[in-house]
Amino acid sequence: MTTRREFLRLMGYSAAAAATLTLWPGITRAATGGDTRLLVLMLRGGLDGLHALPPYGDPGYAQLRGPLALSPSGATAEDGPALRLDATFALHPALTFARQLYQRGQLLPIPAAAPPYWGRSHFEAQDCVENGTAVPDGAQTGWLNRAIAALPGVRGLAVSTVMPLMMRGSVPVATWTPPLPLRVNPILLQRLEPLYAEDARLAAAFADALAGDGASAAPSAGTGEPGAMSAAMGNHVMGDRRRAGPALRGKVKAMGSGGRLPQLMQAAGTFMARPEGPRIGFVEDYGWDTHANQAAILARKLKELDHALSGFAQAAQPVWARTALVVVTEFGRTARINGTNGTDHGTGGVLWLAGGAVAGGHVGGLWPGMRPHQLYQDRDIHATIDFRSVFKGLLAAHMGVSESALATRVFPGSAALPPLGGLLRAA
Amino acid sequence: MDAASRRRAASALNRLGLGARDGELAQLGDAPGWALAQTRRPAAELGVFDGLPDSLGYLRKEARLAQERRAFVRREAGRPVPVGKDGKPVNPLLRLYVQTFGADLRREASARWHLAARTGTPFAERLVRFWSNHFAVSVDKGPARLYAAPMEREAIRPHVHGRFFDMLLAVEQHPAMLRYLDQAQSVGPDSVLAERADRRLARRADGRPARRLGLNENLAREIMELHTLGVGARYTQRDVTQFARALTGWSLPFPRELERGGVERAFRFRPFAHEPGPVTVLGKVYDQPGEDQARAILADFAVHPATAQHLAAELATHLVSDVPPADLVRHMAQAYLAAGGLLPALYAALLEHPATWAAEARKFRTPQDLLYAGLRAGGIDPGDRPQPWEGLLMRLGQPTFMPRSPAGYTDIAGDWIAPDALWKRVQAAEALAERIPRTGLDPRALAAAVLGPQLRTGTGLALRRAEAPEQALALLLACPEFQWRV
Repeated sequence: MTTRREFLRLMGYSAAAAATLTLWPGITRAATGGDTRLLVLMLRGGLDGLHALPPYGDPGYAQLRGPLALSPSGATAEDGPALRLDATFALHPALTFARQLYQRGQLLPIPAAAPPYWGRSHFEAQDCVENGTAVPDGAQTGWLNRAIAALPGVRGLAVSTVMPLMMRGSVPVATWTPPLPLRVNPILLQRLEPLYAEDARLAAAFADALAGDGASAAPSAGTGEPGAMSAAMGNHVMGDRRRAGPALRGKVKAMGSGGRLPQLMQAAGTFMARPEGPRIGFVEDYGWDTHANQAAILARKLKELDHALSGFAQAAQPVWARTALVVVTEFGRTARINGTNGTDHGTGGVLWLAGGAVAGGHVGGLWPGMRPHQLYQDRDIHATIDFRSVFKGLLAAHMGVSESALATRVFPGSAALPPLGGLLRAA
Repeated sequence: MDAASRRRAASALNRLGLGARDGELAQLGDAPGWALAQTRRPAAELGVFDGLPDSLGYLRKEARLAQERRAFVRREAGRPVPVGKDGKPVNPLLRLYVQTFGADLRREASARWHLAARTGTPFAERLVRFWSNHFAVSVDKGPARLYAAPMEREAIRPHVHGRFFDMLLAVEQHPAMLRYLDQAQSVGPDSVLAERADRRLARRADGRPARRLGLNENLAREIMELHTLGVGARYTQRDVTQFARALTGWSLPFPRELERGGVERAFRFRPFAHEPGPVTVLGKVYDQPGEDQARAILADFAVHPATAQHLAAELATHLVSDVPPADLVRHMAQAYLAAGGLLPALYAALLEHPATWAAEARKFRTPQDLLYAGLRAGGIDPGDRPQPWEGLLMRLGQPTFMPRSPAGYTDIAGDWIAPDALWKRVQAAEALAERIPRTGLDPRALAAAVLGPQLRTGTGLALRRAEAPEQALALLLACPEFQWRV
């Protein structure tokens, strides 16, 4: 295992150069009081960090990226000029809301980040991102569920039909997706309840589905009416459905266009903004595996992501100042483009933090550079930040999870990896 | 029939098959024999695919559509965008696509629903769909959309009862896979085509960085990781890249080649795109010319011990248990290798092993299999419009041919059990129950007929107390033992 100092030497950094990079000292407590919110958005497939956060100022970038290279001073066939952040980095032109956040100091991109697993399999990498260990079968539960377990009284929500690995574990967590527009006969539910109660594996989940409406599910259950919507998502987690329902219904109806992700993020924001709502949320998206024709695909997908961020921010407005959002993907992609105007599976990618609680407005992390000798295996961005150190930093400062719980239970065996500080606005 | 035979018969129909139909359980004597017989000949097709275009036919239609679109754009340039009944602008190109392929897509989908609902060889059909998911193609990738269903018909069905290598080759040369995993455009960096393109680029005057033709290693990696060896096998990035070089040239006919005529296959090897020279994969040198190079590598992968282990574990997990006994997997892998990669040997090893019939064997129905089982139990005719069924599956989290990942859909209980998911299953059960023909129907007798000894006392009691047949049927399809396959 290479230490950070050895790594810097290896990469040709002088001590002075390293000092100018953002190496955060200890943890500072968030300025946000107790009732904070944390949302993890997982982009499955491997978002190309070099396309979303182009390091246009890096001498190796334009050469390796060829026709995919983006810069603030030039436009390509698919894309306009990139949105300049600093002398090295810019944002993809579709990320206009993200740039506003950056200007408000509420967006912190961290390039060259990766989970501790550096293989290039989607599925193994996703497993590691979610189980919080360095190996794909390192745990059968997710670190986000284990974090909730360390926070008594905190509720979780996964905006997903089925429970994602990151949210699986001992604490029951609600799932939600847009409801089926079908009625459910309350008497049928009544009859099913005792049958499910006898099934050890299904009992808890079924009880959760009924809770709130209980066996006397409102006749409107499942019709898309407010009662139905909250029943379908297990509204015991969501607080008072009568108050919150109509607002959400209005929102969901208004979400006709713009893709699935903005709709899901807006719903997540609505749930999480409630006073007794879930404080920890999870949303996932697919379709980021851009082996071919990347510029056009990412122009569309990044626009969706940008709408998703603004949709969430709008819906979660009441709690936005107390919210931190992490956007994570399983790996970055190759530094060079491949033969089909796309990129293949790589290593270091970009991790994004956003929200009113985040100390943003600069690019974080440690940029290893992309001249040929700086690449990992002559191919990928060398990862300089372990995802877990960021997750630990957030859970410690933002959610108040103790460092001992983080090192032993939430991210087992990670005691040697300190939580990153400086991610959140200081008290 | 004794209790053990009855239990095995119910397992064969509900866990190995697609769900019992009324009357099947009573007739089934020798459960392992019933399943084994289905592994020796092709799954019944009941004529549902008759008249559907083959992949080459779809490629030709696609080429014609591209021409029409160009003509349309030329003709309509500058005219106002048409507006639909709802006052919203209509995308005329999308309308052209739907006019061209809408009926085909509906018939492809409908055929699969009918087969699932009516087949008399449900174990064979289950195997077809298992392999289809093993070689998953996700139709949210536009260029692959038309080809996922034909791939199942053309590359999976004919080989489910044959050699794994033949299925592997047919899949990797199918337009669906070549497009889904970006193989069609992958070009050897030192191939004739790449060098020609380089010379052209060198002559470009504008000095802009330009695209070089080159490798795309997506298919190579997923073949090794998902289709054959498995991610746990010992291979390196170098093996992936070398294999990707061997695969260059594997492509499909271009529209202009189709127009010119003489094309007889939906696969085309392009010698000019092929990377010349030998490659080394897993320590072995392959110096075959052209298409044969990757074919030889696939032939070795197909009978590699890691592949045997991977396929055995996946199939045992699919049919027996989320955590199948190691001895069962070992037994299957050995039988497969001993038979030189013949799939019936793999199936027979599973069927003869006691773990397959043990009381602990238990799986949770995926949403897709839940709907199939509901159609079969209720004797429901899926009808000509597949849209409601497809829509239901989408909301249940398992849209057809759209796993959004080349790993396919999971079949592990924990992935499908969640409050919202169970709620939607109850809704689906009601939707299905409404479609069950009522004539002469006794819901309690039906429950006994499809669940047999799996029906629990409490459910039987609830069925008796149901106030209407419709509610009893919904109860049957929504009850816990209908979600499990024991």
